[in-house]
Amino acid sequence: MSCAKFESDIALYAGGDLPPERIARVEAHLAECTHCRALAQDLRAEQALLSELREDPLEDAMVAQVRQRVLAEVSHTAWRAGFSPRGALAPLLAPAAALVLAAVLVWPRHHRTVAPRIAAASRAAQAEAGRGSAAAHGAAPLIRRVRHHLHRAPAAQPGPPLLVQFVTDDPNIVIYWLIDQKPKGD
Amino acid sequence: MTAWRENSGGMAAFERVMSQCERRVLRIALRLLNNPHDAQDAAQEVFLRLYQHLGSLDETRGYEAWLYRVTVNVCHDIARSRRHSVELADLPEPAAPQPDAYHDAERAQQREIVRRGLRRLGEKERAALVLRDVEGLSTREVAGILGSSENTVRSQVSTARLKLRDFTGRLLRRRS
Repeated sequence: MSCAKFESDIALYAGGDLPPERIARVEAHLAECTHCRALAQDLRAEQALLSELREDPLEDAMVAQVRQRVLAEVSHTAWRAGFSPRGALAPLLAPAAALVLAAVLVWPRHHRTVAPRIAAASRAAQAEAGRGSAAAHGAAPLIRRVRHHLHRAPAAQPGPPLLVQFVTDDPNIVIYWLIDQKPKGD
Repeated sequence: MTAWRENSGGMAAFERVMSQCERRVLRIALRLLNNPHDAQDAAQEVFLRLYQHLGSLDETRGYEAWLYRVTVNVCHDIARSRRHSVELADLPEPAAPQPDAYHDAERAQQREIVRRGLRRLGEKERAALVLRDVEGLSTREVAGILGSSENTVRSQVSTARLKLRDFTGRLLRRRS
């Protein structure tokens, strides 16, 4: 058998990779072939040099640069992930969004559903009372005046209907209250 | 399955793993890519992938095989995208050894020739030889990392050793 057919197995044999069933045949050939023994010797020397490459020094700066770049990227990724739907803050996002939505929807409604504040009332009462309208712009005092007027209405004569106007904070809501004044005893 | 991230706290576990194997990953990348900048890019990509997969790695099975496999794959992708062709003529000749410290210098020169020989190998043969002969992994481990059969790895390693021996032999004869 020619040496060329042994080379592949000798290359494995030199590195300890040859399957056991082929070792005896290779060793027998090496025992009688100077050329292949030299090849095996070269391959073993090459193995030693290759294993020395494992100890090749790396520049610390080179390693540090990689580490710095990786950690910077990881930190950036982690920061972004915290605000992404899959991130660490994700469990808080849904309640926060619900809270904001609720505030947007409820706040104006709540604001409108507050009992209408009476801002002005009773033109007739104002006229009868002969007081200036400027002084009558306070809400509650105007109503007190109306009540006072009704309380003091003449007992025997019917009076003109009283128009009471309730002006609320909402310009779309105005409440008119017509009150018939009847003489006492009807 | 026990996950690294769950057990050890994400960032701390990641930094620990990185500090343990950053030099190894960088060295392999350097051997496979022949270019320090590409090797740094490869190592960076490997560790970013490690960070992404830290939660799914099984602590009991270790992470070395995963790391080797990803390193080889990343280097393969970078090599494909950049297609570096490093010709022997482009590289400076190794410096002649000085009379003092002659043995060390001669040994260093031989290592440099072997490094050059590695660069001349094909991608798959080089990966197999670096993992088997430089890193000292078993044929079975190399097969697992490269996704090949053990017979395929043996064939690649055998061919690579013979090519390297031819190259180093020629270069050493030329120098002598």
